[in-house]
Amino acid sequence: MILRRLRYEIVSRLVAPALLRITKRRRSQGGTGATSPLGPPLESRHKLKELMSAHYLGGRFADGAVPVAYVTSGFPVELLRPFGYHVVYPENHGALCSARRLVPQLSEVAERAGFSRDLCGYARADLGSLLSGSTPTGRLPRPDLLGCCTNICQTVLYWYRVLADRLGVPLVLIDTPFVYGQAPRAHLDYVAAQLYEAYATAARVAKRRADISDLEVPIRLAAEGTQLWGECLGLSSHRPAPWTCFDGFVHMAPIVAMRGTVACNAYYRMLRDELSDRVARGIGGIEHERHRLLWDNLPIWYQIRELATSLAAAGFNFVCATYTDAWAEPGTTFDPHHPLESLAMAYSHVLLNQDLKNRLRVMTELARRFQVDGAVLHSDRSCKPYSVGQIDLKERLQRDLGIKTLILDADHADPRAFAAAQVESRLAAFMESFR
Amino acid sequence: MERRGSVMRQDYIDTQRQRHGRKAVAVLPIHYPKEILTAMDLLAVEVWGPPGPARGHAAAQIQPYVCAIVRNALAFLAAGGEQHVDAVLFPHTCDSLQGVASLAADFGALRRPTLQYLHPKGGRRDSTLAFATAELRRLAETLARLTGHALDDAKLSGAIALHLEIHALRRRLLTERRHLPASDVELYRCLRRGEFLWPADHRAELEALSARLTKDAAAVAVPLMVSGYVPEPRTLLEALDRLGARIVADDYAAVGRRVLRQPVVPEADPWRTLATLAFAGPPCPTFGTPLGERLSYLDGLFTASKARGLVIHVVKFCDPELFQVPALQAHFAAKNAPVLVLETELEEQLSGQTQTRLEAFVEMVGNRGVS
Ligand code: SF4
Ligand code: SF4
Repeated sequence: MILRRLRYEIVSRLVAPALLRITKRRRSQGGTGATSPLGPPLESRHKLKELMSAHYLGGRFADGAVPVAYVTSGFPVELLRPFGYHVVYPENHGALCSARRLVPQLSEVAERAGFSRDLCGYARADLGSLLSGSTPTGRLPRPDLLGCCTNICQTVLYWYRVLADRLGVPLVLIDTPFVYGQAPRAHLDYVAAQLYEAYATAARVAKRRADISDLEVPIRLAAEGTQLWGECLGLSSHRPAPWTCFDGFVHMAPIVAMRGTVACNAYYRMLRDELSDRVARGIGGIEHERHRLLWDNLPIWYQIRELATSLAAAGFNFVCATYTDAWAEPGTTFDPHHPLESLAMAYSHVLLNQDLKNRLRVMTELARRFQVDGAVLHSDRSCKPYSVGQIDLKERLQRDLGIKTLILDADHADPRAFAAAQVESRLAAFMESFR
Repeated sequence: MERRGSVMRQDYIDTQRQRHGRKAVAVLPIHYPKEILTAMDLLAVEVWGPPGPARGHAAAQIQPYVCAIVRNALAFLAAGGEQHVDAVLFPHTCDSLQGVASLAADFGALRRPTLQYLHPKGGRRDSTLAFATAELRRLAETLARLTGHALDDAKLSGAIALHLEIHALRRRLLTERRHLPASDVELYRCLRRGEFLWPADHRAELEALSARLTKDAAAVAVPLMVSGYVPEPRTLLEALDRLGARIVADDYAAVGRRVLRQPVVPEADPWRTLATLAFAGPPCPTFGTPLGERLSYLDGLFTASKARGLVIHVVKFCDPELFQVPALQAHFAAKNAPVLVLETELEEQLSGQTQTRLEAFVEMVGNRGVS
């Protein structure tokens, strides 16, 4: 156990960063030399890669060294920090698989086992990875605990039930009833009671003592991290925006997967400073920003670069997104002095757990704050919670704000559901309408 | 309320409203506290579709990758179905229903008042019981605004007693299926009329059918268990009848999964009983029941009914059901029980391909011997 722990710490803290520095040096010696309509790449990306690679590399040696948990992106991970869990986000792993275009092959494994191709692409990638043992990270550790929160969707509950059954480990569930307006007292009490139960279970699995006061530090760090992330996003209200929301999709990994840690906050301080510097120097996320757009729904992970480039070539920059903004919202109500109550409040009021009226409000505020002239709503075939209602949202945005809107059919993870020619022609017609 | 057989159903609802002065509430799937509606003299009219293509402008408000239950229900209600009811109740069963509930409430997709029921997930715990009770009371208060009068505890107890009787009758018909000299078409017609009949009328029909139960069990050539969502299209049942198969165990979300398999003794406080009832039904993926619990429940149903094959009949794009299909398949395959998975889209007719698969399956199960 002690040796395993030592190996885990050495790999996470020393080996991974060193390996990455070598790779970075080799790459920078090679240079890209390509001309691109995108702005100069962010320097912070190297640090991001280092952080996330260390996270995944450390994960290879985590089981047996530290307790391991698989959790959903909306799970109150702060509950696990006091016990030193290594936390794996299957959705984040799904995004990684998707960016590397591995989802079709992983999904086929899941489909052969009987899982429908209509299920969430992240779930299919994850189940395919579990069944085949194949992952771009080398190896995922075996979990001791599963943490599922229904605030992003109910799909995760069905998905995690399958995981719990296959892996034979306890599942803690935080059921967050859907919120119309503001969550009533009974709702918040219910969520707080479950948080308490989850905290106790996490302690038991980690063979540690549960002390609520230990939540103070991670909650303070999570609040600060969320605020820093919000500051990074907010800098795009400048013209030109110093980065694109496609950059944001990639740089949100730490706020999702490392929330409540010192490393996460250090990273966003660095990113914020770099973005502020770009604002001061008038460096944009794209070379010539002529039109500013809002993105709704998950990214099309396997197509990010292509989309960003073709839009940038025509002077279009996505300066804000509901998806990245969602990670800047909940932490604003974190209160280290009222840990469970404030977590219940924050995690109940996440974007996908609130009514469409709220979603329209958020989109309207983003559109105004970031002065967009158009919005693209990604109708995501395998993410129903994000997609139902978009047809009405589109009409309302167009009517209320007078901006141009487009619904783009695709899938966040599975390129087999991406009709390139159709997307291209729809985007071309959309861009044409700005002339 | 229903396109097919709509005249009879609509007439019934209109009569209930006019003659008995009852308001009617359209209810979307699956689980909801019908006892509260009954106690408040509200007629619950469930909307499981209806089958057929979604028609009307509202159909275009929902993407084609959302299940037909949600698309058809919204389209149907918006295209005039809601005229026959006074409100629409949306249980937050799944992501799609949750989305459409918000669409109806926030963006005026429907003209009638819309109500929500947030049933807790994750099984019976102290925290869920407390929340369930609060949510049930909240729903009753919202309904009181519709009826103009508050819910009376004595009436609630009476409604609970009536529904427990209905559960008992439905349970008996399902478990003693082999003793009922009636086709599946006839049995399901009676069971599904509970989706819109006033409960006392439904009880009377169930009693009449139960009176036909015989002492001797008839031999069934092909006894099947069905797990899935809703027995639509009706031609599926006709095909099974024609092929000599019988559904001897039912785990349809619309039917058997909403029948208490163990009697529940009411407590003095009707609210406590209601909260207990919210967790007392058979395992359902939409409650987030652990998979092992569901498998062992289905195992028990399969064995007790002496079924010889399992038909998993799901609606395309239905995440809660689809996630569990592989586990069900693997579990029953390991028991050497034939399994057929049917994925349908709430069509009005069974497709030729599905019919052929069903025929081949029934024949294969039949060849394994008569029970
Ligand atoms: S269904 Fe949507 S919200 Fe849920 S896990 Fe999948 S991508 Fe995320
Ligand atoms: S997804 Fe499934 S549970 Fe939800 S409404 Fe459709 S058929 Fe019903």
